[in-house]
Amino acid sequence: MKEIKKTVIEKITTHFKEVTAQQHDGNRVDFFIGKEEIPAILFFLKDEMGYNHLSHIACVDWLEEKEFEIVYIVWSYTDKIKIFVHTRVERENPVMDNVDMIWRQANTYEREMKEMYGIEFTGLEAPEEFLLEDWEGPPPMRRDFDTEAYAREKFWERPGREDARDVRETIIERTGEELPDFAKKYKR
Amino acid sequence: MSFFDLKGTLKPLTALKQFGKQPHTLKETPFVPREAADRYRGFHYNDLEECIGCGNCSTICQNQAIDMVPVEGIEGKKGDSGLRPRIDHGRCCWCGLCVEVCPTGSLSLTKDYVYVSDDADSFLWMPGVDNPEGKERKSFVSTEATSLNDFARIPMPELEGMERVKSFAEVVLGYNEEQARAEASRCISCGLCTEACPEHMHIPEYINAIARANDADAVRIIYDNNPLPEMCGKVCTRRCEEVCAIAHRGEPIAIRWLKRYATETVNNADLIKEIVNPEINAPNGFKVGIVGAGPSGLTAAYYLALRGFDCTIYEAHAKAGGMTMYGIPKYRFPEESLDKQIEYIQKIGVKIHFNTRVGKDISFKEIYEKYDAVFVGVGFPKPWTLGVEGEDLQGSIQAVNFLYEINNGKQVDIGDKVIVIGGGNVAIDAARVSRRLGADVTILYRRRVQDMPADWEEIEGAEEEGVHIVPQAIPIQFHGDDKGHVKAVEYLLAEMVPDERGRRPKPVAIEGSNKTIEATAVLGAIGQQGDYSFLEEEFAEKIRIERGRFVVNEFQQTTDPKIFAGGDAANRTADAISAIADGYRAVKGIEAMLVKEK
Repeated sequence: MKEIKKTVIEKITTHFKEVTAQQHDGNRVDFFIGKEEIPAILFFLKDEMGYNHLSHIACVDWLEEKEFEIVYIVWSYTDKIKIFVHTRVERENPVMDNVDMIWRQANTYEREMKEMYGIEFTGLEAPEEFLLEDWEGPPPMRRDFDTEAYAREKFWERPGREDARDVRETIIERTGEELPDFAKKYKR
Repeated sequence: MSFFDLKGTLKPLTALKQFGKQPHTLKETPFVPREAADRYRGFHYNDLEECIGCGNCSTICQNQAIDMVPVEGIEGKKGDSGLRPRIDHGRCCWCGLCVEVCPTGSLSLTKDYVYVSDDADSFLWMPGVDNPEGKERKSFVSTEATSLNDFARIPMPELEGMERVKSFAEVVLGYNEEQARAEASRCISCGLCTEACPEHMHIPEYINAIARANDADAVRIIYDNNPLPEMCGKVCTRRCEEVCAIAHRGEPIAIRWLKRYATETVNNADLIKEIVNPEINAPNGFKVGIVGAGPSGLTAAYYLALRGFDCTIYEAHAKAGGMTMYGIPKYRFPEESLDKQIEYIQKIGVKIHFNTRVGKDISFKEIYEKYDAVFVGVGFPKPWTLGVEGEDLQGSIQAVNFLYEINNGKQVDIGDKVIVIGGGNVAIDAARVSRRLGADVTILYRRRVQDMPADWEEIEGAEEEGVHIVPQAIPIQFHGDDKGHVKAVEYLLAEMVPDERGRRPKPVAIEGSNKTIEATAVLGAIGQQGDYSFLEEEFAEKIRIERGRFVVNEFQQTTDPKIFAGGDAANRTADAISAIADGYRAVKGIEAMLVKEK
């Protein structure tokens, strides 16, 4: 296994100059590469090295770094190793190459990422509604999506709920505690 | 396929052969739904007895489906808001987060998933109230292992037991920043604790400020209604922690230690003033005299001074703090901690006359005439005596007097075998101090260890330091040697007899179970009482005192409208935080009385 991992890393790093590799315990190797090189490296892994199974495409929202990370996970039945290929796209107007000509099923992941994170894939087939019905809000898997605020705005209040009470206020009323204004921002 | 496919058109008509036959679905009436899976997330059920109305379910719900509302038959009380969740099932998405954040585990989801109604508004109902049968149908329940609440407290670093007895060094070392943030983050901010706190401190808010790494705001919030928070952060009786929502299945949030952490980030009086930056009103021309610089007197003085009153405290001893200065040993509450707070209170403009005993150095009458209002916070200075033979022998000392001498830097000869009588904090303090002076210590207590009124952490601390506790022991006589010095204590063992009126069991001595234990000193700690000899006759007549305490109204006003009282001499809970609460209430009373009159 160690040998195979070493060969994989060697092969990839000689073919792709701008790549960094990261070793992991077990049967896993990670590569980090620029987004322009993604189709090339995936083609190479599939056609030249036998990684012909696309296990998954994942997305991570790095809100503070203003980037999305897309992770392609591929698997070889001969090497029995999974390779994680990471890339980053900017969060503002994120556009990514479509890879469904390499694996047809990539389309499903891409449609999901478009809907959940708002990433555009060039030439995406069936880009319209996927899982979310009648969705009008921002992509909901983004970390800055406020579910509660969305629910509050989107759905009407059912009549009969006006008598809801705030727990803290109820106790304050009962005890006569005087909560100063400057402390209020720390209320639940 | 031809344009007109006859077969395809006629085929469906074969279904007509079923016409007139009995249907063989829906045989069972009424329809019984299939049993759901073990962890199925169906309708909610809430155990109304277990639920404390903390509202964590309502807060977490991302769909705004949960309201907290009052329920008939459930009264709010300490540790229970009296509210219960009501769920809009039209909004619920069955994510189950409400169950996973429920601190008591009262909320669960059931296997019931069929509900049919024409009326959309009937989907708004209260789990537990409207579906009591759900109790038998629970499936998705909260366990300690799966709960999203953090039930384990961040351990407080402290000195090891046998290391402690070598000196009077502070035992508890305090949280560091990382520990404090982690501990503060366990809080669910329900605020049930604020009702249990006599002073109703803004607990969830300052804990939240600590969790959000804003210690200065935490300090400001703490000082809003407590001018001695570092003292409370170290020695408070913390009634708040008893009702903590997390304590139902885990260890309560270390509220006291978090207050301690916040106040210790400010290490001198000037800095306190800078951070708290209190608004001080212009002088309003009223003068208030205060008897006693204990927690209640200091609190009254501080908040009166902020409101523009001219405050003067008369204190009999050389230092302020009352029992917290002279009664609490320094390994629990170091002097620097107290000094810093007193200095800050003085900086606000409070004047303190030390070594001035009212009734001796100045008469009460003089104070009464000189000031527009008087606050009396004199505490309980006089110890109760056991009333057994030999109590006046040499070496038989009252524990409060003993603690006073030691805290005053004096030497007290107690020898190497000390017997402490009592089970309150004073008894434990006296025992642990005696250990530090190198003696073997045994505590005799008439009830069981679990009945001891002392803080459980203090009891544990004493045991770790090697203090022996003999429960159910009633002293009957002190034996002396020929020089008139105590040499042994004779006691009877007791059995616990249940009280027919439902109060705590009473210890009843067992005839003939006499035992004797050797002693070089006996420290009595069975409680204290008031000493009102400083009041001249005319006041003693005017001010009503019942069962050793001043009779006061909700603003701590005594039967003489000009005199207010607080602290041990006015409340039944006899702890520092209650004294602070008394002082704070009196401020409102004095302000209402004087400013309104004007």
